Amino acid sequence: MKSRWLTGVFVLLCSFVQLFAAEKSYTIAVIPKGTTHEFWKSVNAGAMKAQQELAAQGTKVEVIWKGPLREDDRDQQIQVVENFMSRHVSGIVLAPLDSQALVKPVANAVKSGVPVVIIDSGLKSDKMLSYISTDNFKGGQMAGEHLGKLLGGTGNVILLRYAVGSASTEEREAGFLDALRKTYPRIKIVSSDQHAGATRETAYQASQNLLNRFGREVNGIFCPNETATIAMTKALRDIGRSGGKVKMIGFDAGTQSLADMKNNDVQGLVVQNPVRMGYLGVLSVVNHLQGKKVEKRIDTGVQLVTPENMEQAEIKDLLHPPLDKYLK
Amino acid sequence: MNEGTASTVRRQSLASLWNTAGPFLGLLLVVGLFSLDSEVRGYFLTGRNFKVILVQTVIVAIGALGMTLIIVSGGIDLSVGSVVALTSVVGAILLNKNFSPFAAVALSISAGGAIGFLNGAIIATFRMMPFIVTLGMMGIARGAAKWLAGNQVINAPETSVNNIMSLVDPDHFLPLPRGVWIAAGLAVAMAIVMRRTIFGRYLFAIGSNEAASRLAGVRVQRQKIYVYSLAGLFFGLSGVMQLSRLTQGDPTVAIGLELDMIAAVVIGGASLSGGSGSVLGSMIGALIMAVLRNGSSQLNWQTYTQEIIIGFVIVLAVGLDRLRQKTRATEAA
Repeated sequence: MKSRWLTGVFVLLCSFVQLFAAEKSYTIAVIPKGTTHEFWKSVNAGAMKAQQELAAQGTKVEVIWKGPLREDDRDQQIQVVENFMSRHVSGIVLAPLDSQALVKPVANAVKSGVPVVIIDSGLKSDKMLSYISTDNFKGGQMAGEHLGKLLGGTGNVILLRYAVGSASTEEREAGFLDALRKTYPRIKIVSSDQHAGATRETAYQASQNLLNRFGREVNGIFCPNETATIAMTKALRDIGRSGGKVKMIGFDAGTQSLADMKNNDVQGLVVQNPVRMGYLGVLSVVNHLQGKKVEKRIDTGVQLVTPENMEQAEIKDLLHPPLDKYLK
Repeated sequence: MNEGTASTVRRQSLASLWNTAGPFLGLLLVVGLFSLDSEVRGYFLTGRNFKVILVQTVIVAIGALGMTLIIVSGGIDLSVGSVVALTSVVGAILLNKNFSPFAAVALSISAGGAIGFLNGAIIATFRMMPFIVTLGMMGIARGAAKWLAGNQVINAPETSVNNIMSLVDPDHFLPLPRGVWIAAGLAVAMAIVMRRTIFGRYLFAIGSNEAASRLAGVRVQRQKIYVYSLAGLFFGLSGVMQLSRLTQGDPTVAIGLELDMIAAVVIGGASLSGGSGSVLGSMIGALIMAVLRNGSSQLNWQTYTQEIIIGFVIVLAVGLDRLRQKTRATEAA
């Protein structure tokens, strides 16, 4: 008799829990490095895409998009993380501005029960649920292999590096050199010790200096980020070596780089997938909250865009993500 | 005593009460506004959250102590953000060179003091506008920070410096990190210095009327050097706190931080024309801004909404201050 009564209570409790489970909604904070760049708008779109898909499956997720008050200020980003931690959101998706400065805030958040997924840039920590980003080394290798193929395995090549201490671009540079050494040992790297710096202006100066010296003998160039790619292409145009005379491979696809590619001044761009970063970031947190297993390391993939394939539908989607569809 | 003077006295004491209580009421108002929504109240009005707010206030609060000295004496310092970045870089470099944490902290604070001394000496010796001198120093210190750091961030080794500002137990109000206690202790000390010491009273005298102070025998220029040097020490300490928080010396951090400090001091009831202001007010001003930031995060406000609101609060605070001064002036007349 008593046991039946207990069973009744148990069943009642279970149905309550189920009721709650059905009603349960998650709040996930997505914290980019800044909010004005095109790249971060795409990440935002990806997060909203995940939200819409999950809603269609019956899981309510509220995505809060919040960048640091001052763009690129590490302390401000720490504050944002702390505020979401003390608010006890269901999870945080973070693109850390620095691989060290954000270690403690992330550890604190995890300690107080808020799972954190890191996207885009690495963090010197193993506290996060998952690290979702571009495999930059692979991206660099892809650039190297494409350039080697374009040059037929021989010629003089310049690598214009980005900046000291930037982990993602250093991996791209290493991947590029690795591919050339392994697959095309006959290609000579005439310069690989110059840095473009953070702005288009510094990159332009560095490019001009390099081309003054090597402009006549160089056959191929790789630049590991957007500003350097744009600046080097411009410098090549200045000395009349653009349009395929020097094969130019760059990274990321901004409006300018794509226009340059249409004019055949750029022969290849390695493109990341920021939409996928935001999408998988939110999805991973939700999967974890629902008790599913989440991979520790997720690669969002890179795509080589060339003048030949840039008009294909899926490449177009990657180059011009349908932001309006997700961001109202 | 006739009735007229009695009411004036009453009105004056009311005004002074309003002066001290005003910022405090403002803080309560802001906290109250964010607590209106019962859902938000659940996580906003918690010890855990106020611990986070206090930690986020420390850097601005310590800097605001120095800024209060300067503004009360009728000056301004625009170089603080750069000095914070520079001293955080200096601290990180020293720690990497195996200086003891104590020595590294002491030297970083002194570096702040040295820059303050330089500011004060130039302002006093050449009778230059503090605005211009510190504007120049803003660029010099920022550039020096980048130069020293070789244009990148300098990761500090794991030392006790990293723990000054760490939350330790993020789920409970206590224990508070040491940085919060240091800021609170210094605030009490500076409140006493401003009210009870000759140096403190000189500040108000110089800020109210520099010429009259000089005629009354105050060595105005020397006092100015003291003021900027002492304030520089506080800015150096802010830099140490920044270093502890980031666990690295970052030459690009704290851009525009001086404006937060100036805003804190002004919200706290100080006048940019000098001669008035209080340590307590400045501390509350710093807290108001931190609460605004934290609260708007909790309420899902966009970052730009937050910026606009903080801007409004500053203008409102100064507007109220002008109103207060006007009523005081008409009363005096």
